[in-house]
Amino acid sequence: MSAINTSQIRDEIKRVNGGAFDGNRAKLLPVLQHLQARFGCISGEAMQEVADAVGLRPVEVEEIISFYSFLRKDAAGRFIIRLCRTLSCDMQGKQRVANQLESELGIRFGETTPDKLFTLEYTNCMGMCDQGPAMLVNDRIFTHVTPEKVHRIVTECRRQFGEYQTGLVDFNPNIRKVGPILTGISEAEAGLRRALRMPRSEVIGEIRAAFLRGRGGAGFPVSTKWQIAAAAKGANKYVVCNADEGEPGTFKDRLLLLDFADKVIEGMTIAGYAIGATQGLIYLRGEYTFMREELEESISNRRKKSLLGQSIFGKEDMVFDVDIRMGSGAYVCGEETALIESMEGKRGEPRNRPPFPVNTGFMNSPTAVNNVETFVNAALILDKGPEWYKQNGTAQSTGTKLFSISGDCISPGIFEFPLGISISEVLEEAHGEDAKAVQIGGASGQCVPRSGFERCISFEDAPPGGSIIVIGPDRDMLDVAENFLEFFAEESCGQCIPCRKGTQVLLEGVRLLRRGDCSLEYLARLRKLSASMKIASKCGLGQSAPNAFMGIVDHFQDELLGRRPKE
Amino acid sequence: MAKVLIVDDDRDLVDVTRLILEREGYEVVSASNPDDGWETVQEEEPDVILLDVMMDSEDDGFVLAQNLRKDGCKIPIIMLTNIGRVTGLDFGIDEEMVPVDEYAEKPLSPKNLLALVRKYAK
Repeated sequence: MSAINTSQIRDEIKRVNGGAFDGNRAKLLPVLQHLQARFGCISGEAMQEVADAVGLRPVEVEEIISFYSFLRKDAAGRFIIRLCRTLSCDMQGKQRVANQLESELGIRFGETTPDKLFTLEYTNCMGMCDQGPAMLVNDRIFTHVTPEKVHRIVTECRRQFGEYQTGLVDFNPNIRKVGPILTGISEAEAGLRRALRMPRSEVIGEIRAAFLRGRGGAGFPVSTKWQIAAAAKGANKYVVCNADEGEPGTFKDRLLLLDFADKVIEGMTIAGYAIGATQGLIYLRGEYTFMREELEESISNRRKKSLLGQSIFGKEDMVFDVDIRMGSGAYVCGEETALIESMEGKRGEPRNRPPFPVNTGFMNSPTAVNNVETFVNAALILDKGPEWYKQNGTAQSTGTKLFSISGDCISPGIFEFPLGISISEVLEEAHGEDAKAVQIGGASGQCVPRSGFERCISFEDAPPGGSIIVIGPDRDMLDVAENFLEFFAEESCGQCIPCRKGTQVLLEGVRLLRRGDCSLEYLARLRKLSASMKIASKCGLGQSAPNAFMGIVDHFQDELLGRRPKE
Repeated sequence: MAKVLIVDDDRDLVDVTRLILEREGYEVVSASNPDDGWETVQEEEPDVILLDVMMDSEDDGFVLAQNLRKDGCKIPIIMLTNIGRVTGLDFGIDEEMVPVDEYAEKPLSPKNLLALVRKYAK
């Protein structure tokens, strides 16, 4: 970085938005991401220049860099190798790959080789849980990594690696079961065309009649969100697509963003029309940088066909465009208020609620934030009607849903199931019938033991997050708990004490349990702590962090109490 | 005397509003969600509707107002809500999305409440 001079930095800053920021820090993250990509790090000098350009103090720029794991102040190796350490990759032999990487490179995780060629790091879920272990080399994702492959990849990198830029290696879309959403998805633009012929309130009425609930996990009625954003006054309103699919074990949006981007953007356009927004934003997680080019191409093609921009479908007052904003490796940004903070160029720290983001959203304007899959569902509902949609699912959980299934099963991948399906039916499809438990909804979801396999996956019973991790009969539940708690301790934004400290204490508690050093009295205290965290944490991350621990304490007492203290 | 329909899921607020209006001689009927509100409008044919927005129900007050107007109902609707405070956003009358005659943020003093009702009651 020392060879980089000030004028080079200024030139690069000018490449983003023409260097015109006018005190608007919303472009801060794109500038930093650009400098990071260009120079490999953001030096003190670069921070000063960015601060001057955007109208901030250097320390305000530094606090952003320190928050996002993909941004760095110090130069890293030319190749940053990030190995996924999430449970599903762990189950598929991550440790052997980690050992091979360390021995191949002669460094430990967190270090850079003396020749500055390689930096080795762990990362959290990369959305490749069905084909792990997965690893990123800069922006390129390698799946099904084995120790043998590690040797080949490292050798290739050392040989000037021209081909190792971005993209996917050994990737399989892994669609295991399709349903009405994935099969109905091919009919282009019918939903948007129909929506634009209706009054806005009727578009929301169709979504209400279908009783579409958010596909991100919380299940908030989409029509209510859109209704409030539509009714609120604001010169600028926004539609935000939450493509920050960071929940461990979740990779269903990967399919939609890679293969059905047009339908996602069509759904966003319908939402834009319904709420009166002219700007849509896709917040794409940093780990999915390899998708960016294709998404931009989809957006550009839609502009050429007048499906984005001015006078969409010839309707003069219909103006809507879409832009992409990149995340930079922070799980908490999947929480919608944190996501909005991040898009505004701030640390991705969750906001207090209320107010809810449907109103005081991006740039203090009415904003509807929805999941990728929700937009696809909305587009199909407008195309085929609410009655078609309600043919599947239950009264409170209409339609079908995509599930990412990984872990100890023979057929991991993406499945479309009607909501209301039982866990045992799901396991049969994925060939994981001998499981002793499943983790539904990722690390922040809930652990259901075998005795609960007749439960239904629906908003009325076991809430459907995007993922199901199958836990086989030989798996140590404390390994599962430790993996999840390491994840939460790492990803806690540190704003509130119950989450920041609580995740660390629980992690330590699980390690004590593993060693057989945890007394029953201390276990009881950990349970109390978990209950407190659920109440006192500021956002969903802290509130759900103890779920995995509580689930294991509640359902797998034998595994805990069977541990004997060391001699 | 005119008949006023209150659609609100806050029982205490309905009781207090009822007390204030009945003292002035209005007849008061109430409903606790938009569905019941719709039924009550058909059955009771009120002269004025006081309508909350966020209720413990699938639909909200915006939807009821939109449906009533779509149905040709011309009864004056006074929207009484705290959605602006809760959400931090501006709301107001909008022909399509908020088709009401008056929009007011809670809490409303008895004096202002009566002034609004008088303005629209026959």
